[in-house]
Amino acid sequence: MQIGFYFDQTRCIGCSACAVACKDWNDIPAGSEKWMRITYNEKGKFPNVFVSYLINPCFHCEDPVCIPVCPVNAIIKREEDGIVIVESNKCIGNEECDSKCLKACPYDAPQFGPEKGAKMRKCNFCLDRHLEGKLPACIETCRTRALDTGILEELISKYGSNKNADNFTYSQRTKPAIVFKPKNK
Amino acid sequence: MENQEKNANEEDLKIVRTTSTFDCGGRCPLKLHIKEGKIIRVEGDDFEEKDEQLRTCLRCRALRQYVYHPERLKHPLKRDGPKGSGKFKRISWDEALTEIAEKLKEVKQKYGNSSIFLATGGAYQGAYHDGVFAMMRLLTHFGGYSTHYGNVSSEGAVYATQTQYTSPFVGHSRTDLLNSKLIIMWGWDPARMISGTDTIFNLIKAKEKGIKIICIDPRYTDSAVVLADQWIPIIPGTDTAMMVAIAYVMIQENLYDQEFLYKNTVGFEKFKEYVMGRDDGIPKTPEWAEKITSVPTEIIINLAREYATTKPSALMDCQGPARSAIGELYNRCAMTLTAMTGNVGKHGGSAAGGLMGIPYGHMFFGSRIPPPYRNPVETGLKSVRGSLDLQLRFQARCHTNKVFDAILKGKKGGYPFDVKFAWFVNNNFLNQLGNANKSAKALKKLNYMVIADLWLTPTARYADIILPVTSIAEKSDLVRPWPSGPYFACANQVIEPIGECKSDLRIAEELADKLELEEFEKYPDENKALRFLIKLREDTRKNIRNIDKFREDGIHRLKLEEPYIAFKEQIVNIENKPFSTPSGKIEIFSQRIADLNDPENPPIPKYMERWEGRYDPLNKRYPIQLISPHPKNRVHSELYLVEWLKEVEPHVAWVNPVDAEARGIKDGDEILVFNDRGKLTIRAWLTERIIPGVICIFEGTWYDPDENGVDRGGCVNTLTKDAYSPGGASALNSCLVDFKKFKGGA
Repeated sequence: MQIGFYFDQTRCIGCSACAVACKDWNDIPAGSEKWMRITYNEKGKFPNVFVSYLINPCFHCEDPVCIPVCPVNAIIKREEDGIVIVESNKCIGNEECDSKCLKACPYDAPQFGPEKGAKMRKCNFCLDRHLEGKLPACIETCRTRALDTGILEELISKYGSNKNADNFTYSQRTKPAIVFKPKNK
Repeated sequence: MENQEKNANEEDLKIVRTTSTFDCGGRCPLKLHIKEGKIIRVEGDDFEEKDEQLRTCLRCRALRQYVYHPERLKHPLKRDGPKGSGKFKRISWDEALTEIAEKLKEVKQKYGNSSIFLATGGAYQGAYHDGVFAMMRLLTHFGGYSTHYGNVSSEGAVYATQTQYTSPFVGHSRTDLLNSKLIIMWGWDPARMISGTDTIFNLIKAKEKGIKIICIDPRYTDSAVVLADQWIPIIPGTDTAMMVAIAYVMIQENLYDQEFLYKNTVGFEKFKEYVMGRDDGIPKTPEWAEKITSVPTEIIINLAREYATTKPSALMDCQGPARSAIGELYNRCAMTLTAMTGNVGKHGGSAAGGLMGIPYGHMFFGSRIPPPYRNPVETGLKSVRGSLDLQLRFQARCHTNKVFDAILKGKKGGYPFDVKFAWFVNNNFLNQLGNANKSAKALKKLNYMVIADLWLTPTARYADIILPVTSIAEKSDLVRPWPSGPYFACANQVIEPIGECKSDLRIAEELADKLELEEFEKYPDENKALRFLIKLREDTRKNIRNIDKFREDGIHRLKLEEPYIAFKEQIVNIENKPFSTPSGKIEIFSQRIADLNDPENPPIPKYMERWEGRYDPLNKRYPIQLISPHPKNRVHSELYLVEWLKEVEPHVAWVNPVDAEARGIKDGDEILVFNDRGKLTIRAWLTERIIPGVICIFEGTWYDPDENGVDRGGCVNTLTKDAYSPGGASALNSCLVDFKKFKGGA
């Protein structure tokens, strides 16, 4: 089974409540380690401007390229739901392995704290919440209800199979588990 | 596994439902996770109807960093260096309150009660622990005090709605937006300013329903990003000219609702004369407006036709464009357009007026500990009731945006008092009123100053005594939202006070003891007091039957049979339910204003060119207009230090590349923004989302002057003017500046 995200890019106001809620729930200090990032894209010339926001958590890819590159097999993909998690105690730190997972990931999902030899951490789909039958913090936070989640197949039948969005390219190699309502110019 | 272990450890987890009281106006339901007496996580509303959940924004998502921030004040402090140096030493509550009481008695005896000044703000609005009410009550018992008039945010809209409707409740339930056919958002960015917890989601629903949304703003706002079918950029301060030209097209093409105007309004003919140019020889054509606003004639004509013929339409003006020298005339003109199109009192329509409040569960109707609030310093004055004469407001007070000018100049400067003692509560006025450098000068000169706050704010740095106040997590209270609800909210104490912090009410109660004010009634039992305050007001008494459940839930949602529509009652039955204006109708022409005989305050809404706009001769020296909207990651200057919020958006100035290139500035460059009042530094963010000739700096970062007097905190009010419009709007968006690359020094 594969869980996935749905993101309605036409609804995102870029408020970053999801990113703050992620930091609060997962107790991540302010700084470089960001399990949820919001990216911004602006095109055009005044007054014909186009702006989009995009969420950037870990997309829990169907073929996660971070897993084979990890020298100590610290990253695993859960069979029961497809959530990609890292066993941080196994991780040997970004200096020792030169952040191989981050370099492999097309979406920069692996995250590191500012400390020397930081161990990789990243969005784990709020696994603790997931195991309790709750939605990830980001999804429940979204004020404009731009986010949803579920089994990827069901998301596709509910929202369609659009795999691209503004500022986002679907990687055929890793197959990120997300479908979009994209924002088009 | 790590996470499963966490679950096992969370058996002693307690979840408390509560809310917060920042000056965003939202009072969003929060579920705080408490473990071993500490907040460990925040969750939002879990109401079963997901579409109706009042989902809290990023600000309260970061609540725990706010509550536990290492820079929270924890003990009373006494100044231990020159004023403004930020040097303080720890003292005990007893020492602090003893000193304050002695000072109060001394000032009262030497200079009289009018020399005691109370500076109040909106940073905390609760029924029980609120410091504004507590201090008003205390100082009233002490013989009175001087204070200020006019709120910094919305006074233009307040004056405008008092003029034309005599009611501030000009809003509709937000769900009514879905009944519109066209929504015009004029200077309104709820994506950032919140403007009611459910507002942005209802607007998105309206858009997805196919309702056209037009945004008129100098900026392509985050609201416009998701909502706008059309963005009409406009030169700041000229909105009113465009509105007048819209009226011109409607009149010229006979597209206005004459029957509605005849039945429900007075004075339209006089407005028409002005619009058509019969009184001043200038027809207010779209071509005339194009020259002023930069909005192309064709766009004005099309908008006028579309607005006049699409029914119902909601023209949503706000408060920002009215925070200017033209102030109330912007809201008055918007209200006039809603009358001309017959959209007042209708489902899917709008009465405009900028305030957007509905009279259910609104903050204005909040409970409070009963009077006396009759301030002896203000007794025996001419009554202000029903009057639009701002001067009557200043018989004993100064305007809020003149607080520091009044402190500086006193009676010699024409103010009704000489301040010798000032108490600041719920505000960071040095930072949030115009002309911060002047404010700092005034505070240096001020004889004695006390501030109650959670933080060593730029204002607090100048205090003689700082009293540390509890956060909303450390006390229980009744709170209400604005502008939209409807619901009543309850804050529940979840943790013990940090350090030696006390609530403002407790501070006042202890100070009352020091002042031996036996008649100052105390309410020491929180539970009893909250019950009393719930029963004190009819709406809470009637609706909240089960007080224990209300406290447990933290919220009581009101179910209205249908969306609330401002003035529906009047419009369906004007003969029997008139407006409370002198004429009983909507006053497009106001005799009350005409009687004031002030050429700057016209009885009909007009476009007027005033100071520090695009056409002020000062523009030759300072050719850039500065606007200072709400920030998205703070509430004004509240929450400024919270790192989770800071990292969401760096403090940058929006600059159009055209203006940047002319000054050799690249994206990310540090720039010096300056005028005669001050200088600040900030990074430039080059964006096509702002009209050329305008720079945008979000208000609320903390004033931090360096040794050269350059504000390195980028506090926008270092540049703004401490002035107000004829109706009392704090004119912070009328401000001319220039900018250049910052190369150090001054």
